Amino acid sequence: MLRRAALVALLIGSVLAWSVSFSVAQAGEGSKLVVYVYDSFVSWGPAKFIKTEFEKRNPGVEVEFVATGPSRAMLARLVQEIQSGGTPADVFMGEINDIPKAKQFGLFVPLGESDVPNLKTVAKSLLFDPERTLIPYEHGFITLVYDSEKLKPEELPKTFADLTKSQYQKKLIIQDARTSSVGHAFLLWTIYNYGNLGYLDYWKQLLPTILTIQPGWSAAYKLFTKGEAPMVVSFSTDACFDARYKPLLPNNQGYRTIFGAGIVRTTDNPKLARAFLDFLLSVEVQEKLPDTEVMFPANSQAKLPEKWRTCAVIPPNPVMLPLDLVAENDDRWLDEWARLVVTGR
Amino acid sequence: MPPSLKGRGDSPPSLGEGVGERSGAWRLGLLLLPILFLILFFYAPLANLLREGLTKDGTFSLEFVQKILTDEYFQHVILFTFWQALLSTLASIALGLPLAYILTRYDFPLKRAVRSLTIVPFVLPAITVALGFALLFGRNGYLNQFLMNLFGLREPPLPIMYSLAGIVLAHAFYNAPIITRTVHAAWERLDPRYEESARALGASRFYVFKDVTLPMILPGLLSGAALVFIFCFLSFPIVLSVGGGRFSTIEVEIYTRVVTMLDPQLTNYKIGAALALIGLTLSLTMTYIYLRVQGGFARQLEQLRPRPPVPLFAGVRDFLRPTKLLLWVYVLVSLLIFVGPVLAILADSLWEETVFGGHWTLRWYAYIFTPQYEAFLGDSPLRAILNSIGFGVGAMLIALPMGLIFAYVIARLRWGGRRIFDTLLMAPLATSSIVLAFALLRAFNAPPFRLMGTPYAVIIAHSVIIFPFVVRALVPVLENLDVKLIEGAQSLGASRLRALREIELPLVATGLLAGAVFAFALSLGEMSATLMLARPGLNTMPVAVYRFLSQHSLGAPSAMSVVMIAVSALAFILLERWGERALQRF
Repeated sequence: MLRRAALVALLIGSVLAWSVSFSVAQAGEGSKLVVYVYDSFVSWGPAKFIKTEFEKRNPGVEVEFVATGPSRAMLARLVQEIQSGGTPADVFMGEINDIPKAKQFGLFVPLGESDVPNLKTVAKSLLFDPERTLIPYEHGFITLVYDSEKLKPEELPKTFADLTKSQYQKKLIIQDARTSSVGHAFLLWTIYNYGNLGYLDYWKQLLPTILTIQPGWSAAYKLFTKGEAPMVVSFSTDACFDARYKPLLPNNQGYRTIFGAGIVRTTDNPKLARAFLDFLLSVEVQEKLPDTEVMFPANSQAKLPEKWRTCAVIPPNPVMLPLDLVAENDDRWLDEWARLVVTGR
Repeated sequence: MPPSLKGRGDSPPSLGEGVGERSGAWRLGLLLLPILFLILFFYAPLANLLREGLTKDGTFSLEFVQKILTDEYFQHVILFTFWQALLSTLASIALGLPLAYILTRYDFPLKRAVRSLTIVPFVLPAITVALGFALLFGRNGYLNQFLMNLFGLREPPLPIMYSLAGIVLAHAFYNAPIITRTVHAAWERLDPRYEESARALGASRFYVFKDVTLPMILPGLLSGAALVFIFCFLSFPIVLSVGGGRFSTIEVEIYTRVVTMLDPQLTNYKIGAALALIGLTLSLTMTYIYLRVQGGFARQLEQLRPRPPVPLFAGVRDFLRPTKLLLWVYVLVSLLIFVGPVLAILADSLWEETVFGGHWTLRWYAYIFTPQYEAFLGDSPLRAILNSIGFGVGAMLIALPMGLIFAYVIARLRWGGRRIFDTLLMAPLATSSIVLAFALLRAFNAPPFRLMGTPYAVIIAHSVIIFPFVVRALVPVLENLDVKLIEGAQSLGASRLRALREIELPLVATGLLAGAVFAFALSLGEMSATLMLARPGLNTMPVAVYRFLSQHSLGAPSAMSVVMIAVSALAFILLERWGERALQRF
């Protein structure tokens, strides 16, 4: 009896100790900036550097990255939170193809160079949003990536049509267009090439080539590097991370992807949020992006690492569907696509 | 039916007799506690979410439900959900039943450890299992590589991953242990004399099994199978990762619609909510059937003589007997399925791939034990380990007393609507963690419980999830408790409280412990809900695995998974050891 009582006491005691340690960790809370961002930014992006440096520059400020899913999931979370009583988010960072949706909900504050001085360093070709509610901070190209130890150069598909050939059966891993922004971009890319009316026929022919459709880029890339299939949908800069994995440009194209950050309308700390965006665009942070995010910086003054001259590929034909077209049709496209891949019809 | 199988109706109906009305009111007050808990943190948030699926522009509308039921695509999804759950349940029985037999009939070294470890698969987050399966059964996995080398094949011979077969096998990996545990529990209590008499009267082994053994273990088997079916019906991360995007179940559909497919009219959100409603109706119906099956068969098996186990290893000759050979084949297959993925993860956690080939390394372990801040966790990896244990114990401390109160009332009260009431209170079992997480996300973000970002959000979610398991583990024990013992103690002058402390509690200790183990396991392995509710600094081990996996670092998720398996295995072995010792003293 006594021993059991002691054990129960020990259990309760340890839980108490644990929760106290938690509240100690939370104590000393000054002003807090909550940033909603897609999960890969905190996994391998410069989030740690940004947090440390920004907090150093703004004493008493704490930056908290909330990254519970991919870009689209974070956006949906933001909308649902705002509709159900409020969100703690001050800043949102996400992918360009989600922008039209964000605008439909009117979530963000329009910004100008007076708010974010570093905005003037951003290349004009990247400023896709005339209202500047989301400011681009990095960009890149979605392409296919192949394992150079599994496929020889002469074996590679050269066009989207080649991809449907039987020799590539089960050779490609892709991401779910509904849950992953990379998968979404790939779907839009096929629509760019085969049109609103033809893309479903193309996908019907592509299905045998697909080994699996994974929920996110990370899971897909892990299976790819484990040798499950020799091709995956990923980024044109992947060779900078590991030279074994090289970009493959069907139709000599790459689909543009741009990431932008904005200030949530309901923030109670707009000044700090603006300072954060400005810091995000500073040369200091921007020069970290190639090595960590494996993306091109948006700030035209930021220098690229030396090896990027050879390893980072810029596709001869970068393509992208107009955002208003995406905004108008996206829900239908995703629905039709899901029906096709799930039922095969 | 053998004569000593007593129907449930024979047991004394109520403890309340002669205890007095004051105690009745006291009990009612106590009962209100768990009910209040469920209303606040389960029913109200859930109703709030489901309402979305039944309203359009603020008024009641069946439009979305109708849309789903008449749409060919959703019909496909609903049928597939049933189909894969059925196949997975059959596979779980095929894998779990022989192990129950081996555990019951044979004695072998480390038997107790094996029994404790059967619960380990249950705590593994789906993402880890999916990884282990890919490493072992994938096209480039160990098994296919081995077979290709052996037979000189050019293409992998076993297309297990990314197919229905993969989903079924992964579900069996998770759920076969449930069959093993429920059947083993029933089988062990079975008096061997029934079988011996049947044999003595000339029945063949097959007929003894079919006519004597099977009917008596059937309750355990059926209730286990029903539970497995519900789990597979609700499973979603396994379908998402092992099957991939070409397979969709009701839960996967809810997840993708509510989490990611955002549209300004919120149609997808409403369809998601309506799907949750349909899914919940189906799984509640199945839970009701499960409870009926379990209740209908619940009989007190009086064990007259313990079953003497036979040693498994009895010389080389015995080893080669045809029946034994079959047994070894099973052991081999189950080792491959249960131990294989875990070993594959272990190997992956110790391996570093480099341009020059690769080598063994401990760097992934060094990496995950760094106490320094990591942005992707919002804290140090070490904190995730502590959090997991903290949440598990915290949730257990809420769910155990609540479950005990609740089970006490279920086991003692006899009234007409009991089963429906029972089903409603088991509803957390029939609700997937993803639906619960959405409901709680909404609830914790608004008054009166603005708990988002605090550990309580996660602890409460875990308590709701594990509550039904605690109740299920306790009800049979309380039902079998002989009321005369308590009355005897009281008639000898013991106070009610003393009788409770010194007679009832020790007697229900086994059930309490079984509930605690299961509850703790579920809390440790919970990922879907935690991922949605945990803010930085509140991550658990499964969430950390998920985060590591979304990094470029390859060995870290496996290393974290190994730590998780180790922590949970240790906890179970300790708990069962401690439990048995506690029991031996009475």
